Amino acid sequence: MTRYIVRRLLLMIPLLLGLSLLVFVLIHLAPGDPTLFYLPPDRAADPAIRLKVMVHLGLDQPLHVQYVRWLTSALQGDFGFAYGYGEPVLRLIATHIPATVQLQSAALILALLVALPIGIISAMRQYSLLDNAVTVFAFFGLSMPNFWFALMLMLLFAVKWNLLPAVGAGMDKPFLERWKYLIMPTVVLGFNYMASYVRFMRSSMLENIRKDYVTTARAKGLAERVILFRHVLKNAISPVITIVGMSIPNLIGGAIIVESVFAWPGVGRLGYDAVLRRDYPTIMGLTMITAAFVMVVNLVVDILYSYVDPRIVLSDKSQGRNG
Amino acid sequence: MANNLNATRRSLVQTKIHSDSFAVRVTARRSELGRIWRMFRRNRLAMAGLAAVVLICVVAILAPIIAPQDYAEQDMHSTIRPPSAEHWLGTDQWGRDILSRIIVGSRVSLSVGIVAVSILITIGVTLGSIAGYNRHIDGPLMRFVDIMMSIPGFFLLLTIVALFGPSLLNTMLVIGLTSWMGTARLVRGQFLSLREKEFVEAARCIGVPSWRIIAYHLLPNTMAVIIVQATLFMSQAILIESSLSYLGLGAQPPTPSWGGMLNQGRDYMRQAPWGTLFPGLAIFVTVMAFNLLGDGLRDALDPYLRGR
Repeated sequence: MTRYIVRRLLLMIPLLLGLSLLVFVLIHLAPGDPTLFYLPPDRAADPAIRLKVMVHLGLDQPLHVQYVRWLTSALQGDFGFAYGYGEPVLRLIATHIPATVQLQSAALILALLVALPIGIISAMRQYSLLDNAVTVFAFFGLSMPNFWFALMLMLLFAVKWNLLPAVGAGMDKPFLERWKYLIMPTVVLGFNYMASYVRFMRSSMLENIRKDYVTTARAKGLAERVILFRHVLKNAISPVITIVGMSIPNLIGGAIIVESVFAWPGVGRLGYDAVLRRDYPTIMGLTMITAAFVMVVNLVVDILYSYVDPRIVLSDKSQGRNG
Repeated sequence: MANNLNATRRSLVQTKIHSDSFAVRVTARRSELGRIWRMFRRNRLAMAGLAAVVLICVVAILAPIIAPQDYAEQDMHSTIRPPSAEHWLGTDQWGRDILSRIIVGSRVSLSVGIVAVSILITIGVTLGSIAGYNRHIDGPLMRFVDIMMSIPGFFLLLTIVALFGPSLLNTMLVIGLTSWMGTARLVRGQFLSLREKEFVEAARCIGVPSWRIIAYHLLPNTMAVIIVQATLFMSQAILIESSLSYLGLGAQPPTPSWGGMLNQGRDYMRQAPWGTLFPGLAIFVTVMAFNLLGDGLRDALDPYLRGR
């Protein structure tokens, strides 16, 4: 087990290096440069001034020199300064994480609270009215463009009935008043998660209900409730863990669309702004931090998985969850 | 699917031995398709999805003929008008007919979907086949897939599109180029399990070259998975395109795209809710149609995959 974890952690090093090279080359090869965003239009027309800015940002160097320079400082935990903010990238990201964690965890909790029970009940009563309704509802969730859903909620709850604030996170408001800002983004984001969780929970339950061990349990006279919670659910939950695990990285990666529709001051929106401003250090910093987080979470999910389902043996030879 | 096809193939081999007639082969094939169609037809949601997809495709093909007005024509005397007999879905802030723009916009969504899915299937199937067939290439290729999958998908997409310049072509390319990993993994997985089957072993024993084993034995048995992936990803591609267009990074004006219409309608949402309601509904219905179709296909093509 320890061997396996160490191996997986060591494997992260080449993966992260490869990723950083890929993204670094990609964003620097893109046409255009960031100077246009820092200079007023009249000054940006002057090549001499632009060159000066480029030199200042180190962008005049050959690409491999730039990369090595970025890598050496990144390895020392310095991702540089965000263009335009004049703040270290890491600190900038850190200030945006709380809002994102708040929104994402609220949405995840909401989704789990609704999806798991509904998925279980729906599987227990397959093809009932409720089950069919749940199936259709899940398709709704998978097909709804979330920015549109967000706009429609805003239209009703903020514009028409004036019940909830349309945008923002109310970070300047006292803590107890903030929940109002959280409702709409949570519902929109949670709805997305819910749809896929319900489907997974339901199908995983259905798969297990038909197994022989359930018949055996019934035959020896166990109560349905015991069969359901002690036997079926235990086996059915593991694929759901994978799916939930796949949404965990959003905790710090944020949701770009939902955050920008609701002007939520989170990591997703920071990334979006950074892209528009060609803020290379921030783009690189965000990519690396979220990717590292994704890899760690994947590892944790794999370990969790083997605890929940002892049949799964983590071996040195296995190549991660899908390997 | 795989098992069924194998069974069919085995019976084909037997019938070939006994009669070796072309007619027998054709009936066997047809009954397999017939079985799939019968399975599919029983699923009412899937049939609804199929009908909607056909309808949307017809609308997209005939768009210039059935659109009541020119999508770019401005009637400055009737800006921001609610739905009426003249403009069924109202007009936008520049006096353009929303219905006509939605009809023409279907072409953007569908073409993005088709091009992106073609790219993704081509790359995914090629790399997945290679990885699944050749043990030496498998490791490095799958590490590359791991790298690609550790980047938050939408962020990567957004970055490339924004930096290389937003356009319809870039959107299609980037969606396809950043989403093939799932397909590659699926195809690889299928190949890994098929590789050990007797019929492949038999083919290898009689000296069938690798490319032929891949093309004639492994790929046909993976087709079901690929078709389902393609259909389901159509809906994803359409959703992604509309999200990018909503952020102003997809198809550029004057090309009418549903996401772009939402982007423009947003500022007038208070006065003209129809400007955001209807384009959003169009996205919703189209994505839903492809999801239902893909789900139904999966159930019909592979009873073992059902519900996954």
